[in-house]
Amino acid sequence: MAEQPMMSAGRKRLANVPDTEAKLKMLHYMKLVREIEDRIERKLYRQGRIVGGVYVGRGQEAISVGTAIHMQKDDVVAPSHRDMGVFLMRGITPQRIIAQYMGRRTGLTRGRDGNMHMGDMDYNVIAFVSHLGDNVPVAAGAALVFKQRGEKRVALCYNGEGATSRGDWHEGINFASIHRLPVVYFVNNNAYAYSTPLSVQMAIEDVAIRAEGYGIPGEVVDGNDVLAVYDAAKRAIDLARSGGGPSLVEFKTFRMTGHSAHDDAGYVPPELFEEWKKKDPILRLEETLISESVLTSAKRDQMQKECEKIIDDAVDWAEQQPFPAPEEVTRDVYYEG
Amino acid sequence: MANPSTSDTYTIDVPKGLVLDRTASLELYYFMALNRKLEERLSSLYRQNKVVGGLYSSLGQEACSVGSAYALERGDFFAPMIRNLGGLLVRGVDPVLVIGQYCAREIGPTRGKDLNVHFGWIDRGIVSPISMLASLVPVFSGIALEMKMHNKKNVAMTYVGDGATSTTDFHEGMNFAAVQKVPMIVIVENNGYAYSTPVDRQFNVKDFVVRAKGYGCYGEMVDGNNVLAVLDVIRRARARCVAGDGPVLIEAKTFRRKGHAEHDDAGYVPAALRAEWEKKDPLDAYRRFLSAHRVIASDQELAEIDAKIVEILDAAVDTALASPFPDPSTLMENVYG
Repeated sequence: MAEQPMMSAGRKRLANVPDTEAKLKMLHYMKLVREIEDRIERKLYRQGRIVGGVYVGRGQEAISVGTAIHMQKDDVVAPSHRDMGVFLMRGITPQRIIAQYMGRRTGLTRGRDGNMHMGDMDYNVIAFVSHLGDNVPVAAGAALVFKQRGEKRVALCYNGEGATSRGDWHEGINFASIHRLPVVYFVNNNAYAYSTPLSVQMAIEDVAIRAEGYGIPGEVVDGNDVLAVYDAAKRAIDLARSGGGPSLVEFKTFRMTGHSAHDDAGYVPPELFEEWKKKDPILRLEETLISESVLTSAKRDQMQKECEKIIDDAVDWAEQQPFPAPEEVTRDVYYEG
Repeated sequence: MANPSTSDTYTIDVPKGLVLDRTASLELYYFMALNRKLEERLSSLYRQNKVVGGLYSSLGQEACSVGSAYALERGDFFAPMIRNLGGLLVRGVDPVLVIGQYCAREIGPTRGKDLNVHFGWIDRGIVSPISMLASLVPVFSGIALEMKMHNKKNVAMTYVGDGATSTTDFHEGMNFAAVQKVPMIVIVENNGYAYSTPVDRQFNVKDFVVRAKGYGCYGEMVDGNNVLAVLDVIRRARARCVAGDGPVLIEAKTFRRKGHAEHDDAGYVPAALRAEWEKKDPLDAYRRFLSAHRVIASDQELAEIDAKIVEILDAAVDTALASPFPDPSTLMENVYG
């Protein structure tokens, strides 16, 4: 028999294949992302225990997890609002994240801001900038520092396809390309920017085409296949780290939810949800790992229970946390060292 | 001709399919020569301290302005940038107005309120340039959208330099125009320098026109020093736009032979580069073309046009300088529409 296809049928051979430990780690984090977001969006938010809005990356978990797994300690990341996996993989605890969503003093912004509008430079996570695409020049600036100091560090930056229509996206990528900066730009092309479908966002099908106009590599990747994400991200990050300059990696995926928890996404044709449900990235990885005998259904269920327990504990912890005291209101407005 | 062509002489030819009668051929010469001589005259006035503010030259780029504006039809909209004086002349602006404007006299279109080519003439489809470079691109995508919505068989055309392509507005305007498939033509005059920034520090691609692909619109590159090629490419671009094929991005390769403005000696431009482009002077090349293709029987015909231009400019300078500066009591007039 000819060589067994390494992955599920139809997938091309990938240059970078994670070892068993890495595969299970990615499965754990994807499940953990799903669990924390489900809990926040479908339970806590509806129970009125969340302060402000909720944005989740349901169906897009493979992207943040399959990319962030390659980060080294000193690398810097500028995530967007559907990249929960980045926060968790960088070591920010579910406790602090839920406290953030609940507006508590021990959340990442000490109750000053809500939901994904958080960062922590102790973990080299740049706080998400609300103005989509604004993190593109920010990440380029971080990468410029690495280049000027001769450090082998990289910056990763995430956006949706909607953000690519913004001037900041263009200015940042142009700057990074001229100066061959060690930065990788990931586009989560999830087909909708709030209610704007891709066809009204741009006159092209693949954002990655734009890479050519900046003289950098561009690639289209199945964003619901974490092994493909892992492979493409590794190549782009290695290139950046070795002085090869920035890349643009487009992940095709789908937003399996509204823009945020208040949005029923009635503007999305139901058959699109049906179609993409079949491509669920967690189920796909589980199937692959079971077929490779890396995973059993018992182990899968156990992993799920572990994630639920982590989030149960995190919610319990977060709810015990105090809200910020009114007299703290002027703290953290400006950087205080 | 006085200087017979040698193998390294820059020669221009008629693009295939371009139909141009003798009158039009000579008009192109007239406008290019008027453009150059008017700017020479303004340069003298600047040295006499008669010009208020800066003076911007389009020396070496006259073919681009004149050829492109000459391709427009009645009802089309046009906005020049700082080096498109030639286009204004083609669209019917009297040199008296230009001199009056540069010298801040009452006779100038802004009655001494604004300077240089910062004026518009909406009745003639001329939109005032915006100092923030490339801000005209979204403005023109809007004008073109109106044309599309009202089924007008017209186009909206504007210019940016190579430097302005790095700005937010360029990207947002191009993307919007491409998505909406509006009849907009944007000419990127790649003249080698954005102030003192050479083009290789401006973008990471050899030919800027590759970016058209990234917007999903048609793009074409043209020799910006060949007035006939520019005329031809814009006529074809215009036909595409009017047919409903969406916006067109044109990259015109040319060179800025003077400094950014009159005060700037452009010492940062290598002398060899200047010398190379001096040989490609668009006006000289067109003279050689007219003679070689026997559009003119002798150089005497051009000398007559030149003499007429001198006469026009002598009178224009006298008229403009006879006009007073604005009266202080008019200060608040025309501030709002």
